[in-house]
Amino acid sequence: MLNKRTSYVNHITIDSLATTSTFEIGDSTAIHAFSRAIAIQREQELFFSNEANFDDFEIFKREIPLDPITEELTYESSPINSFIKVNRIDIIGVSTSSILHIGSSNNVFLEARVKHIRQLNGRK
Amino acid sequence: MNFQVYNRELDVGNIRISGVASSSLVLVGDTEVIQLASIFDTPAESLIIGPFVPLNPQG
Repeated sequence: MLNKRTSYVNHITIDSLATTSTFEIGDSTAIHAFSRAIAIQREQELFFSNEANFDDFEIFKREIPLDPITEELTYESSPINSFIKVNRIDIIGVSTSSILHIGSSNNVFLEARVKHIRQLNGRK
Repeated sequence: MNFQVYNRELDVGNIRISGVASSSLVLVGDTEVIQLASIFDTPAESLIIGPFVPLNPQG
């Protein structure tokens, strides 16, 4: 592990932490977060329970091209001061496979897929 | 490319965030690799004007 610094946070306030999100205090080596959503905005408050399926939409299957980093990269860090200090963090909401991470990590891969649909009622 | 980093003092006062959503990360710390990918889709036909019917009711 490259010389990783220590994170100091004095005060954290989180109003809501959704079921699929993470509040990590401490180090990690790999993080992989994935979220997909079908967002239907209707002009009227009308909710059908079982309405759409992820398989119906191609966006949830499509490959997202992530070109590998081919450049020759040498990385050296010299820890003159090996602390990261934050006095206060206030967060209202952490949701949809999101992460609040106090500490260091190595490899993070985050992916989000959203299908937006808007339904307006026909003008009379 | 040689990437030389001198980590001096890093002292942040206050951070206020209203929302962290859709596979996002708030990191207070070091890391080596972060890869982010997002795709969203709002084609013309996803704007539907007319009576409200479920998209395609399942079972």
